[in-house]
Amino acid sequence: MKVRVRFFARFRELLGTDIIAEPPPGTVFAALIREVARKNREGYDAIFDGHGAFREFVILMRNGKRVEAADAEETVVADGDEIAVFPPVSGG
Amino acid sequence: MSMLSRRERERYKRQILLFGEEGQERLKKAEIFIAGAGGLGSPVAIYLAVAGIGTLTIVDSDVVDQTNLNRQILHYDRDIGKRKAMSAEEKLREINPDITIRAIDVHIDEANAGRLVGGADGIVDAMDNYPTRYLLNRIALEKGIPLFHGAIRGLYGQATTIIPGKTPCLSCIFPKPPPAEVFPVVGVTPGLIAMVQATEVLKFLLGTGNLLANRLFLWDGMQAQASEICVERNPCCPVCGTGGDEEAGRKGE
Repeated sequence: MKVRVRFFARFRELLGTDIIAEPPPGTVFAALIREVARKNREGYDAIFDGHGAFREFVILMRNGKRVEAADAEETVVADGDEIAVFPPVSGG
Repeated sequence: MSMLSRRERERYKRQILLFGEEGQERLKKAEIFIAGAGGLGSPVAIYLAVAGIGTLTIVDSDVVDQTNLNRQILHYDRDIGKRKAMSAEEKLREINPDITIRAIDVHIDEANAGRLVGGADGIVDAMDNYPTRYLLNRIALEKGIPLFHGAIRGLYGQATTIIPGKTPCLSCIFPKPPPAEVFPVVGVTPGLIAMVQATEVLKFLLGTGNLLANRLFLWDGMQAQASEICVERNPCCPVCGTGGDEEAGRKGE
């Protein structure tokens, strides 16, 4: 199973642009992102708080549709999914 | 009878080729509110001024600082220490004396925002913080006018056009603000995002093209990559999702 994970902005700087992950069947959205983000401590901490929960401003999308952080713990990813994880930027 | 002077017909000749005199007259009748005269607000104001938007209101309560000059192109080295509103007004009047510039030196807050925006046809979000953006979002919803959102950090930027009742509001898309920070920035990024916003303003006023509605435009300058993401209304949005939601939903159908 292949899932494309796209980070944006600061998350991209820390974790890379486009990542093809190969999670085992039954993997949920949040677990996949935790696994992918684990390679860079700063990147992981930018996305997750001390309890491993998504920081409240982080935006999660699956195939162009918004996924709420709570649902991300239950949403099972499927082959061919495209997942986007990004922070809003605030400068002007 | 044209409402454009001979001088205006000359000034806008090359874009009248695109929009016709009728389009140019629409721009002349329009009033746009620009919140902020900084990195986004400077290029937005300059390009809307040269395009001939009849009335531009630009609001900023800051003073020009040397650290602003790498991106806030309405302000020059000689303006350091000057009120940004004054500095912006001076330049914009010189750039196009045929339009009305209202530059206001005030901090946009809960108490004055509705009055400041007044009868404007749209709000350009050229702010650098989410609390003021959320306030402008509420004013746009109340008045039923679009909010042209833009934001940047480093070489990365985002933009979307919020049309009350037809698109998600800013709070649907970004329910929680990112933590405040001194953001890194190089002038080209707000320049690029500001041009997306200004183009949206022109299309909205002219009633032409496809707006950046229900879509979030994301720009990564480091990768030279533009992407977009579909955004949807949040039926549970505490700002636009209660009360008026059903009515707005029906209108959209």
